[in-house]
Parts: sequence; C-alpha cells; structure tokens
Amino acid sequence: MSAQASNPKKRRGGLAVAQHRFVLGVTVPMILYGSIGVLTIGWAMVLMFFKYSPGRAGGSILGLGGSNPFVGLEHFRNMISGVSLEARLFRTSLKNTLIFAFAVLPLNLAITLPLAALIESVRSRLKIAFRAIYFLPVVTSSVGVAMMWGYLYDPQQGLLNAIIRLLGGTPISWLSDPRAEFLGVSVAMWAVIGAYLWQDYGYNLVIFIAALQSIPREFKEAAMIDGANGWQVFTRVTIPLLRPTLLFVCVMTMLSSFQVFDIIQVMTDGGPNHQTRVLVLDIYDNAFRYQRMGWAAAVSFVLVVIVMIVTLVQMRLLRTEWEY
Amino acid sequence: MATIARTSVKATHRSWRLPRVRHVGHFLVYFLLILGLSVTLTPFAWMILGSFKTATEIIQTPPTFWPENPTLDNYRTIVQDPRLPLLRFYGNSAFVTITNVITTLFTSSLLGFLFAKYEFRGKRLLFGWFLLTMMIPGQMTMIPGYLILAKVGLLNTLWGLIVFSALDAFGIFMLRQFIETLPNELLDAARIDGASEWQIYWRIVLPQLGPALATLGTLSFMGNWNAYLWPMVVITRLERRTLPIILTWYSTQHTTRPNIVMAATVLIVIPILFVYFFFQRWIVKGIALTGFK
Repeated sequence: MSAQASNPKKRRGGLAVAQHRFVLGVTVPMILYGSIGVLTIGWAMVLMFFKYSPGRAGGSILGLGGSNPFVGLEHFRNMISGVSLEARLFRTSLKNTLIFAFAVLPLNLAITLPLAALIESVRSRLKIAFRAIYFLPVVTSSVGVAMMWGYLYDPQQGLLNAIIRLLGGTPISWLSDPRAEFLGVSVAMWAVIGAYLWQDYGYNLVIFIAALQSIPREFKEAAMIDGANGWQVFTRVTIPLLRPTLLFVCVMTMLSSFQVFDIIQVMTDGGPNHQTRVLVLDIYDNAFRYQRMGWAAAVSFVLVVIVMIVTLVQMRLLRTEWEY
Repeated sequence: MATIARTSVKATHRSWRLPRVRHVGHFLVYFLLILGLSVTLTPFAWMILGSFKTATEIIQTPPTFWPENPTLDNYRTIVQDPRLPLLRFYGNSAFVTITNVITTLFTSSLLGFLFAKYEFRGKRLLFGWFLLTMMIPGQMTMIPGYLILAKVGLLNTLWGLIVFSALDAFGIFMLRQFIETLPNELLDAARIDGASEWQIYWRIVLPQLGPALATLGTLSFMGNWNAYLWPMVVITRLERRTLPIILTWYSTQHTTRPNIVMAATVLIVIPILFVYFFFQRWIVKGIALTGFK
C-alpha cells in the first residue's frame, strides 16, 4: 500500500515503457512488411515509363534499361493517339469498361432498391429467408457464376434460347455473335452484364434492407396519415432518407464494376471481336500473355486514376451529406 | 400495436377500398418476390440438373429441363479422373484460404487494437497510409508482385498466394472501430493486475471480438476461396492450382461434355454455399454494417 502510494509516478512510468515496447514490437515488423506494398506501388509507377518484358535481360536495376528501354510518356501518348494494336485495344477496353460500369449501376439500382423495399415489407421470418437466398450468388465464386451463365446462354442447349424458341422467337448467339446488338451495345456485353448483375444484386440488397430497417416507422406513418399512398411514401420519404446509403452504394458498385474481370474472362475472354474486352482483362493479357509489362503497368495506372477519381468524388459527396 | 393503429387510420380514410387493395397489393408483392427468387435460383438449378444428365441428353436441342435418365456417371467420371485429384485441389484452396484468414484475423485485431487504444507518434500517418493502400486496386500491384515472386522463387507455390496477404487494411479499419468501443477501464484493470500488453491483447481484447472476428473471417474466407485473377497469375503448374482455376482448366478440357463440367462446377460451388448457410448471419451483418466487400 505504502509502496504503491509513495511511488505512483514510477509505476506509471513502468507501464508507459511496457506500452511503448509493445507499440514498437508491433509497428516495426508491420512497417517492414508494409513497405513491400510501397515497393510494389513504386515499382509499378516506374515500370510504366519503360518498355519492359521480364524475358529480356535488361539493365542491372530491376532489369530496367538496356533492352528494356526508358520510353518516358510514350505509353500514355500511345493510349491517346497511337494506331498500334495494343493502343486500339486499350481504347476499346476503356470504352467497354465505361459502358459496363454505367450500364451496371442503374440496372443494379433498379433491381435492388425496389426489391429491398418489397422484402422489407414482408413478415420477418420470410424476410430473412428471402434475403439469405437472394444473397447466394454473391458468395458463389465468380468463376462458378460464369460457368453457370455460360450454360444458360449456350446457343444450342441453353435455357434462354429454349425459352425463346418456346415463345416462337429466333435463338440468339448470346456470347459469340459480333454483329448482334441492342441499344447500340453488343449482345455479348449485355449478356455479361446480365451475369454480373445476377451475381451482384444480393450485395446491395442487403445494404438497402439494413438501411430501410433503420428508417423510423413514424416517418412513414406520418406521411400515410397525411394521405400519401405507398408509392408516394417510397419516393418522397424513403428515398430521400436513403440518400447517404444510395451514394455509398453507387460508388461501391461503380468501383467494383470498373474492376470486373473474372466473369468476362471466363465467359467471353473479351470476345467476340473484343466487344467485351475490359481494362483489367487488357492489363492481364498484356502483362501475362504478351509480357508487355511496361505497357500493362501504364494501363493499370489509368485504371487506378479512374478508381481514385470515383473514390474522391464519393468522399466529397458524402462529406456534403454529413454537413447538412 | 403499430399495425393496428395504421390499419385503423387507413380504414377511416377509404374503408371501402381497403380490403381489396391490400389483397391485390400483397399478391403482387409475393408474386414479384417469388419471381425474383426463381431468377436467383434458376442458374443453380440448371447447373445441378445438368450435372445429372447423360451425355446424349445434354447435347439435345431443345434441351430438357428435368433429366430424363438421371445419372451419377458425371460425378463418377470426375472423382475417378486420375488427372484431376480433386482432394488435392480442395487441399490447396483450403491451405491458402485458412492461412490467409488466420493471418488476417491476427494482424487486423492486433493492429486494430494498436490504433484504437495506444497513442504514439506517427499514428495518424501510419493509419492514413493503410487507408491509402486500401484504395489502390490490386491490379496495379499485381505486376510488380509477380516480378517479386519470380525473383524470390515463389512463383508456382501456394506461398505465393499467401506472402502478400498478411495485412488487410479493411480488416484493421473494421476491428479498430470495434475495439474503440471497449472500455479503457477493462484494459487498465488488467494492467493493474500485472498483465503484459500482449496478455491484454490475447486474454482481454481478443475474447471480446467474437462477432467482429466471425464477420471479418467469413468475408476473408469467401474472398480467398473464390479468388481467381491472382492465383491464375501466380500458379501455372497443374497440381498447385486452387479450385477456381482448376474449374476453368477442366472446362477447356471437356468443351464437348458440358454435363461433366456442370458436375465439376457443382462440386466446386456447393461447399462454399454450405459455409455460407452456416455463417450467413455474420456475413449479412458484416456487409450491412460496413458495406465493404
């Protein structure tokens, strides 16, 4: 008792030393390990200024220089105005990625938001069951999803064409007809969008259901008392209250669709005629099929810039949301 | 109570319409929900039913929905295929996934604890750095990552799928939020009792994290188990492959026998669905809370 009372300072000091040691013991290895991440980012930023292939010997530092020459901004100039095959493929991939992302977002919202409201309106036990089943595709591996949808889209033995035949229509070569298009976008692109939407909607659905549950019931009741019908309550009360969630969902959906790869690589591998070639596929092909790693690093930088811009826009929007 | 109150309010307004509208409305709601359910379940059903069809039935046009002569031959073919030691691929996937999940849980909880409960110089900087790495998509670090693995000889090894995965910025972020809610008194009481900082982490903090660890663990499990791009980059040797890349390889080997590939897809997709049903509520809760994949 007296020892403790007479010596509180020293005791606290001892604690501080122990805590200090703990902090060092954790952060030092973590920083060392984390610097690998910095190294890879830095390396990628350097690579994009070189013509680099791991097969060539090159210079002494990271194999750069020599037969892997420094080309400055040439890759980026090429992306904008080059006529080489890889430059044209890059522009196609960028365009397709934008089409994909901007088609997925509204379609996803058009499915998930009403569906979430419907699920939210049923009895609670059924609600849980519905939510669980709708979420199944999200946890399924995207390769599995791509395989399953490949069989649905099969021109001969696929379910979709069987239904079309049953209704008296002409079967469609969903994934392989380069001339088929709908609303100016190739049918193959719509087909991969369909599979992607199917895999992804359960995810936003869960977020929306959680957000809907957090809206106090009194708001809706007040509107009802004032004579609003269900639709008016949904559009005038629920949706405005969901705005923060909506913004968040929009950005997350955007980000993940800019990075789409698995489903497209398995279903079409970018075909037919590069109509479903997207940026990540372009990066993968260049880096690991054709060993054009400098070029691929430059393309990945463009993708990162796009992703960063979307993220920053999100942060800005969310911040204004918090302010009011 | 609330329902009764609401009905009566409505009833005073337009009592003559109420029963019919409610009825039709409910019917429509369930109709749409069940339509959605069938859209969700049909691709699974198509694959599962297809995996029981015979070789002649599967190439029939128009296709059948229900298998006419259901058979287990497809599964038998897969299990007996000497080029496809399935257990080995399950083992590969399980090894990578479990290792990565455990390290993620460990580092995330430890660093989450550190960032939540300790003050030290450079803390904000370090935390900001982590958030930044979270924003850099993996496609950018993929190429140098590959080159590093090639340099140190880890290409074509399962360790190549592990070495870069020990830190998960999202996990650190999430567990920090969670640990911040733990009372400081709890930690101080343990300190007064003479516990070391590691003991506090291990005996006091970790046991409080059950639900958060379950959520993070399941999300990390799903991500690792289903990973495709990085394993495809790192691993080209057949026997080292994980399940998703073995599935695409297998389908290229059997393009004319979709029934067999469907059976393989079932074998590879179904286990994760069981895990999902078991941990369903953690995943759903985690996503609803954090909104991250």
